[in-house]
Parts: sequence; C-alpha cells; structure tokens
Amino acid sequence: MTTGIFFVVTLVEALLIGGIFLLYPRFARRGLLFGVYVGEQVSAGDEAGRITRGWYTGIIVWMGLTILVSVGLWSVRPSVALAPLAPSLLVIGFLGLYLRAYFQARALAPEGPAPPAATVLTSTPPANPILPFTAIGFGAACGVAALAYAASHYADLPPLVPTHFGPSGAPDAWRPKSLGTVMLLPLMTLVLGVSLGVIAFLTSRAKRALRYPLTEVSAAAQTRFREAMTRYISAIGMMATLMLTLMAISSIRVALGLERGLSPVAMITAGVLLVAALAGTVYIGLRYGQGGARLERAASRAQLTDGLADNRYWVLGMFYVNRDDPAILVEHRFGLGYTLNLGNWKAVALFVLFIGLLVGITVAALVAK
Amino acid sequence: MQTDVTVLIDWSSAEPVYAQIARQIRSRIASGDLTPGLALPPVRVLASDLGVNLNTVARAYWLLEEEGFLRIRDRSGAEVTAPLRDADPAAVERLRQQLAAVLSRMRQAGLTLAEVRQQAERELATLAGRDPERQLEAT
Repeated sequence: MTTGIFFVVTLVEALLIGGIFLLYPRFARRGLLFGVYVGEQVSAGDEAGRITRGWYTGIIVWMGLTILVSVGLWSVRPSVALAPLAPSLLVIGFLGLYLRAYFQARALAPEGPAPPAATVLTSTPPANPILPFTAIGFGAACGVAALAYAASHYADLPPLVPTHFGPSGAPDAWRPKSLGTVMLLPLMTLVLGVSLGVIAFLTSRAKRALRYPLTEVSAAAQTRFREAMTRYISAIGMMATLMLTLMAISSIRVALGLERGLSPVAMITAGVLLVAALAGTVYIGLRYGQGGARLERAASRAQLTDGLADNRYWVLGMFYVNRDDPAILVEHRFGLGYTLNLGNWKAVALFVLFIGLLVGITVAALVAK
Repeated sequence: MQTDVTVLIDWSSAEPVYAQIARQIRSRIASGDLTPGLALPPVRVLASDLGVNLNTVARAYWLLEEEGFLRIRDRSGAEVTAPLRDADPAAVERLRQQLAAVLSRMRQAGLTLAEVRQQAERELATLAGRDPERQLEAT
C-alpha cells in the first residue's frame, strides 16, 4: 500500500464513519437526548442545544485528530497493520463523546413517576415476511453452494492456499491447506447470510415505541420505518451473501491456479455493498429518522411512552434490560436501527448463538489441521 | 377507525396492569369505538408495545372473554363480540347483584345518594355515547 492510497483510505474512512456519527443527533426522536429521555420540551431547549453542539464540535475535532494520528504513524513506520487504526480511533472517540453527552443529558432527565406505556388497539396486519424469508433462503442456498464448491475441489487444492487478498484482489497471505482454512469463508457465508435474513425478519416485528396522544400517527410512522429497515437489512444481507460467495469461489479458483486474483465481480460487489450500506444508513436516517421520527410531524410533540421513554430500563442509554418485555429487538435510543432486549433470554440466546457461531468457526478454522 | 383507540398504562396507579388494560378495552367496546367483529392485536404485540409480561395481557383478554366482550382467536388474537340479543335471566340477576354491591360500596365510601346517582348517570351517558354534562342537566 502506498502513502497516497493509505491517506485516501484514511480520509474516506474518517469522513464516512465520522460523518454518520456526526449525523446521529439529526436522526433522533424528539424527547430523547443522547440515550436519555429528557422530555419533548427539554430536548428542544437551550441546554439540549448546547450539549448537541458539543457533540458536533467533538466529533469534528476527533475526525481531524484521527486523520493526523493515522497519517503521522504511517509516515514514521508504514505498515498494513495501520489500516484498521482510523475506524478503531473513530469508534473509541464516538464512545467517549457519547458518554460525555449522556451524563450531561442525565442531568436534564425529569424526576418523578415513570412515563406511561401506550399501545393502539387497531390491529395492523403483520409485515410481509417475503423479503426477509428470501434473504434467509438466498443466504442458505449460497452458503451451501459455496461449501459444496469448496468440498468438491478440496482434494485438488495445493498444500498452501490463499487466505487474504490485498486491495488489488491479488492474494497476499497463504496458510497450509486444511478443512478449516478452506471451509472458513463458505461457512461464514452461510452463517452471515442466514443471520442477516433472520435479523431482517425480527426487525419487521420489533417493539414499537409510540406517543400519546396521537398514538396512531406514531404507530403508522413506526410501521413505515420498520418496513424500510427490513428492506434495507434484507438487501444488504443478500448483497453481502453474494459478495462472500463470489469471494469463496474465487479464492478456491485462485488456489487452483485458474485465476490470478479475486474475481472483479466480487471486488465490484464489495464496493457496491460498502457504498449501499453507508448510503442506505444516511438515506433512512434523513428520510425517516430513527423509528420514523421524521414522519411524525405534529405528533412528535406528544409524550413518548414506555420502552424508549422509561429511563429505568436503559443502562448508559445503550442497553435495554426489561425482563417482562417479550420484545427481542428494541429501537436504539441514539443512532439508527435496533438493539436487543437483554432482559429477554431469547434475545440473549440469539446473540450468543450468532457470536458463538462466528467466533467458533474462526477458531476452528485457525486450529484445524 | 375515527379515533385513536389507545390503551394507556399508568404505572403509579394502584389498579393492576391487567385490570387497566381490561377496563380500557371494555370501555371502548361499550362506547362503540371498538365495533363487533373488530380484530384486536395479538397478545405478543400488546405486551411488547406496553413492555409488560405476556401473561398480563393474556389475563386481560381472558377476563374480557369471560365477560362476553371478546372471543379469543387463534394465534393469540381476539375479536370483539356483539352484545347478546336475548339476555340470560340468570346472568342478569348475577350482574344486578354486582351492581348493587358496587352502589353499596360507593355509599360506604362516603358518597351521598345523590352523588351515587350522579356517578351512575354519568356512566350511563358514556355508555350511550352522549355528553355526560348534558345528560346530567336533563335529569
């Protein structure tokens, strides 16, 4: 990697990741301030504005520092190992600035009884599961196809197989042939493809956060947001599955000497996936707002209820823990999308299963002979 | 649906959550906001929205089914039932006794007979979908 490429990659990473963090307050629901329910009036007040401006300043300064540190370290000692430095620094900065803003917002949280919980009795038909089910089926089919392709060529593979590819698509790391090294990517394809489809399905049935009164307006906004998120996750899931499948097949073909590097289609798919994921996040955030907040209009002044409004159930504004609540996925209080209800054993089991599979497959691949 | 048919849970109330849910659905059915044949959301959706246990919502639905307001359907949903055309005399007598007990309790709670009557008139007016104040004036 040349200095020019490293600088451009660092700059793009900083601008894209930091840019999305910068936009987070723009996605937020009225009433919520950096993971704290402070009330609809207070969240639009002067003090809330001061905290939000502090966030913007902090993120911009941190983006600049990230670029300076990354490029500075590269100029002292260039190494590919510095590639993940910028995203890591940005995430660390995000967490630090978030916690600062969170504790500032805590001071504005209202005292007194817990806010009410509300629901509407209008029975909305359940979301159409065709798209998530298609994503699950696509993930399973591609994963199995990649596994079958790897298995059918296993005997013909040379003693060393490529395990990593550089930005040009050419292999830059090899490991001895083993079931683990050969099957890692196909297995990852299967697990990730199916898991993203399952996440899309659960998103379509996530917990609703409603306002009172004008509950039906907020319910309608919420439904549109969930539909958009379901489409987005399903599409991203299928695109990721396609990319991983192409890479899995391509890496076998490189090992067999049939190709010199990763298929250009796989590289293009990876690029399209990255752009689509980021553009989709920004689009949904600005078009719908978190939970459909931007579609609520006048209803946004109504009282937010239950899950999102009750500070008792949120740890640091990030982790929702309610043992009574049967919901698996709950809206984030800050940012975009959903998080798990850590008080629900089904949600915890799903999370452990997902992480366990990913870590288990990776570890098994590393130790397999 | 013309109005927001909402169930609101007040955590500081002494009334149990299942009773709050049942009372509000009952009241909406009685006022005609929820019409016979209308499907209510599944137990899971209501419990998830309110952040309460599944059993809490199920208990409210069972209670309303027992009282004849709902019919529990498959997949934990419920449907609003129409009032019976012909009252069962035994059921009427049982309800009359319950009404008598409630009126006695109101009297015991310190309300005068006129106040008890006012409260009863108010509830009847709500049931009929009329303005309680005008109804009181008429009496």
